[in-house]
Amino acid sequence: MLALLKLLQSLVKTLHSDGTPHQIALGLALGAALGLTPVVNVHNAVVLVLLIMLNVSFGAGLLGWAVFTPIGFLLDPLFHRIGAALLLDTPGLQPLWTRLDHTPLVPFTNFGNTVVLGSVVGWLALFLPIYALGRVAVRRYRTTYGARVQQWRVVQALKASRIYNVWQWFHA
Amino acid sequence: MPDDTVPADARGASGPPAGPTGAAPPAPIGSPTPPAAPPRTRGAVIRWRGIIPLALAIALFVIGYALFAEPIARDTTAEAASELLGTHVEIDRLTLHETSPAVELAGIRIADPFDRMKNLLEAGRIAIELEQEPLLERKLVIRQLSIERVRVGTPRSTPAPPAPATGFAAQALGAVRSWREQFDVPLLSLTPIDTIRAIALDPAQLQTVQRALRLKGEADSVRDAVEAAYANLRLRETLDSARNVAERLQDANPLRLGIGGTRQAIADVRRTLDELQAARRRVEELERGTRAGLDQLRTGVREVDDAREADFAFARGLLQLPTFSAPDIGNAVFGDVTIDRFQQFVYWSELAQDYLPPGLDPRRKPGPRRARMSGTTVRFVRARSYPAFLLRRGDLDVTVDGEGLESGTYTVAVTNLTTAPDVVRQPVRFVLARTGGGSGVSLRAGGALDHLEGRMHDSVTLSAAGLPLPSFAFPGLPLRADLGRGTSALAFERRGERISGDWRIRTSAVSWTPDAARARSLNRLEELAVRVITGLGDLEVSAAVRGTMREPSISVRSNLDRLLSDRIRAVLGEEVQRAEREARAQVERIVRERAAPIQAEAQRIRSEADARIVEARTRVDEARAQLESRLRSLGVR
Repeated sequence: MLALLKLLQSLVKTLHSDGTPHQIALGLALGAALGLTPVVNVHNAVVLVLLIMLNVSFGAGLLGWAVFTPIGFLLDPLFHRIGAALLLDTPGLQPLWTRLDHTPLVPFTNFGNTVVLGSVVGWLALFLPIYALGRVAVRRYRTTYGARVQQWRVVQALKASRIYNVWQWFHA
Repeated sequence: MPDDTVPADARGASGPPAGPTGAAPPAPIGSPTPPAAPPRTRGAVIRWRGIIPLALAIALFVIGYALFAEPIARDTTAEAASELLGTHVEIDRLTLHETSPAVELAGIRIADPFDRMKNLLEAGRIAIELEQEPLLERKLVIRQLSIERVRVGTPRSTPAPPAPATGFAAQALGAVRSWREQFDVPLLSLTPIDTIRAIALDPAQLQTVQRALRLKGEADSVRDAVEAAYANLRLRETLDSARNVAERLQDANPLRLGIGGTRQAIADVRRTLDELQAARRRVEELERGTRAGLDQLRTGVREVDDAREADFAFARGLLQLPTFSAPDIGNAVFGDVTIDRFQQFVYWSELAQDYLPPGLDPRRKPGPRRARMSGTTVRFVRARSYPAFLLRRGDLDVTVDGEGLESGTYTVAVTNLTTAPDVVRQPVRFVLARTGGGSGVSLRAGGALDHLEGRMHDSVTLSAAGLPLPSFAFPGLPLRADLGRGTSALAFERRGERISGDWRIRTSAVSWTPDAARARSLNRLEELAVRVITGLGDLEVSAAVRGTMREPSISVRSNLDRLLSDRIRAVLGEEVQRAEREARAQVERIVRERAAPIQAEAQRIRSEADARIVEARTRVDEARAQLESRLRSLGVR
């Protein structure tokens, strides 16, 4: 329940932030990596750095993480199959993997793990659709329900909360 | 389509104004209606203010690493080693030397996978110096390994926690336990002489009778099948037709028949020859079709004969005779001790075959344990590169002072221990030697793991003198054997699935002590056995394990079993032989009455079927020869 409330809070804050739909959608698509792929991996550190350093919505990134985590768990068997197909069942790619496996630092990315590789490939494939859908959804929301929701007391309370200032600090 | 730069208030939003980078400055707390915001723009791509939290996060990471890296690495290493070896591994301290790079482990204890109250190995300190370049490729190449304060086979005050149930080692341990159960170790039976009894065999219990009854069913079905197939040949019609043609043309002359008549006669003969040819093919098909059934009958008849020996053994078992054959005694007394020895080699060999696989194929192993699915982690092997793990050479030279059993100088050397033998192109070799010390113990061991180019050849030899030999409970008698100190030589070899092991021990210090825990009153034969055994001061045992992993066999010979066998035979010989003769006679009688007629019937069916096939073939061939002769008389060559 707490997680759900946090998710709603994150959703409301993100939608009513000053970020443009582009920034929110980009944050969401980057944050999806944290949810879709196993989190303790080098590529996610890079994603986190991008979320902090790029002028995108950090909140949307966290929202993407929260939303896509359960989806990642559900899709793990599919990711495993994709990874296994790429790593083991595609002879044409074996020289590439072998070269990468013997390239300094690259093996630390865990690309040789079927779930990691499959989920990263899955995330990259979904990146543009997530971005496009996010952008359209934010625009539509703001032109239809945004103004009304903004007047809700609960939204006002959320925006007046202490952490909001810190929150805004990261917001595009 | 709305533009991204449309002001938030223009869409009904009333947020604070955006900052120069596009980010809004903090709104005053509690401010219900902030001023209208200017139009938002995407602003700069980089959010420079993000450097501060990023630096903070990096600082936190560094602090976390300084505080927790070593404890985490210690726990992870112990956990991974436990899973790798299939036994509990404890590490008291782990120190990382990032600049060298090197790792130092202190207080290492590896529990014995077969005895949780013992440590297989204890080491006070292990220092590992790593090569830097392979580390960047996530590979461990050990430049130098030094181990200090090593002790082996030390007792534990508390039992080691169970080994992880997952991983290959756990599977291997299970497989080795199953392997152990495959051995047919006989029980030593010293049944009292007065319990040798007369037996009345039930024919239904005998395998010969059961096999004969099955043979009867098989013989009936073969006979029916042959008869049905023979009827389907329609041989009579073909042969009659051939005979008619031959008779009709017996005195035929082309001059008398004329051109038309001769042509007609030749056509008739050729058509009939074709029919005979088809009949010949049908006979051959019949022969082929019935061959399997007839062979089955032949095998069945032989199996009935073979089953007789099993029935003799069964009948002999009913007599409750004591064990007095020397090989049986040897296996019964020393079988378990021998298998205990060899199962350890089989276990380590199982691990070696999995961890040191031949070839350059991608190596698969389960992915890391995490909340998410583990998946499979694949490492790609390449010739002329670093393997994922390599210990080029490990040397251990330790001297334990004093007069105790452990005192002496130990030298251990391991070379080319790697996870990719075909990359290193050298087999793993290890030698161990112990010399000196006040205990008079000498020990030499060596071995090789040759997993190059698809070979899976593991071998180890071990010889020791003055070493305490195992003590064990004597099976079937309330005695404990303490073999004292003696010489021991062991050789074990595994080539793929084939195994071969020899173990020889010799001691002059064997002592036999009553086993209070199993104390009971003994019968006359057991008293005799105890007298014979306890009078023995020297012991020589020679054990061998042969066969495959799936079908291993063991044989043990010793001076004890020969002596015991001779004495039991001397006391029981005549009585046992009479009982055995009687049992054999009973089996023979039942076989004669129940199985022999069935065997004879099966033989008869076989012979008849064979004869019918031969007869059919002969008759077809004769008819064909006759017609060909007519054809020649008609002028056809």
